[in-house]
Amino acid sequence: MPLSLTLDESIRALARADTRPDGGQCQVLPYFAVQDLARGLGRSPGNGKGHPHSKAMARVELAALELGILPERYQRNSTTYSFTEQIRLLTSRVALIGLGGLGGHALEILARTGVGHICAADGDEFQPSNLNRQLLCTRRSISGYKAAAAAARVQQVNPAVDFEPVAAYLDEELMERFLVGADLAVDALGGLKDRPALLHQAARAGIPLVTAAVAGQAGYVATVLPGAKGPSDIFGADSEAAENTLGTPAPAVVAAAALMSAEALNILCGREPRLAGAMLVFDLEGMSFERVSL
Amino acid sequence: MHIALKCFATLSRFTPPEAEAFAIEPGETVADLVKRLGIPPADLKLVFINGAHVEPDAKLADGDRVGLFPAVGGG
Repeated sequence: MPLSLTLDESIRALARADTRPDGGQCQVLPYFAVQDLARGLGRSPGNGKGHPHSKAMARVELAALELGILPERYQRNSTTYSFTEQIRLLTSRVALIGLGGLGGHALEILARTGVGHICAADGDEFQPSNLNRQLLCTRRSISGYKAAAAAARVQQVNPAVDFEPVAAYLDEELMERFLVGADLAVDALGGLKDRPALLHQAARAGIPLVTAAVAGQAGYVATVLPGAKGPSDIFGADSEAAENTLGTPAPAVVAAAALMSAEALNILCGREPRLAGAMLVFDLEGMSFERVSL
Repeated sequence: MHIALKCFATLSRFTPPEAEAFAIEPGETVADLVKRLGIPPADLKLVFINGAHVEPDAKLADGDRVGLFPAVGGG
């Protein structure tokens, strides 16, 4: 592109007409065009701090969406998330606590869908027993920090996401700091111990909390609005947890992560939370789902 | 009178035969039912009837869908 063209002009010049999944026509900015334009931006003054390529990619994607031109990587989202909603996703910030089974799959979905800012915390390292379900746990990542594997994965999957890994366990004080500036908290913790503190801090921060947990083939997903009762009020921090007996097999973990991500995306793009004040309880052994109001 | 009973996770081993149409006594409460099934009260954390969270002193009625859930926290 000649330097004289503005970003908007370059985007318009590189866009092509395409067909949406529902058969409608739309303008699409090809995947490689986003990269090329972002590289051009990366050399401009004022983009030298932080993660210039990530920020430049996000800037190009946002500029395209503002022009009504869809970045190609979000093409299969376009009947689910409108342009306005996709912009909201790209400009939103999620605080994700836990990068194990639930957190790894949730991160994958949020990053692929184009949530612009994700900060994620987990002080744990991968162990062989995580291989049964945790997306980020591979032969290569065993013994390494979950937060480090998460950062590498987001870079591979969607470098437009501004991702902040924190390789630390959060006590309640750190949770409070971690949630500053977030639009939504996602509780992907393992075990019962830390969940009440996170529920409390999300309420104090005035942001919704999407939470999930599994044991064996059963599990739940819930949304807790600030000040409302949540599952951890019912289960407590010190009860004997069913997963200690039943384990955490992949289908229930991935199902719960997918459900919580769908709800998180609903909330981030400005829709009403579908599970506010309720739990969606499931059992994959009997293939049953039930909504329970709390 | 019959209820449709579902025991989740670690409580599934207390599922009686014919849980889908389980006979209850008139006036029976959730707590009575839980005792009859042999579920340790400390293991039961969440009870729901027809999609609403209730306390163990809730009375059962014909046709109720009853769910019993332990503490679940795995990720």
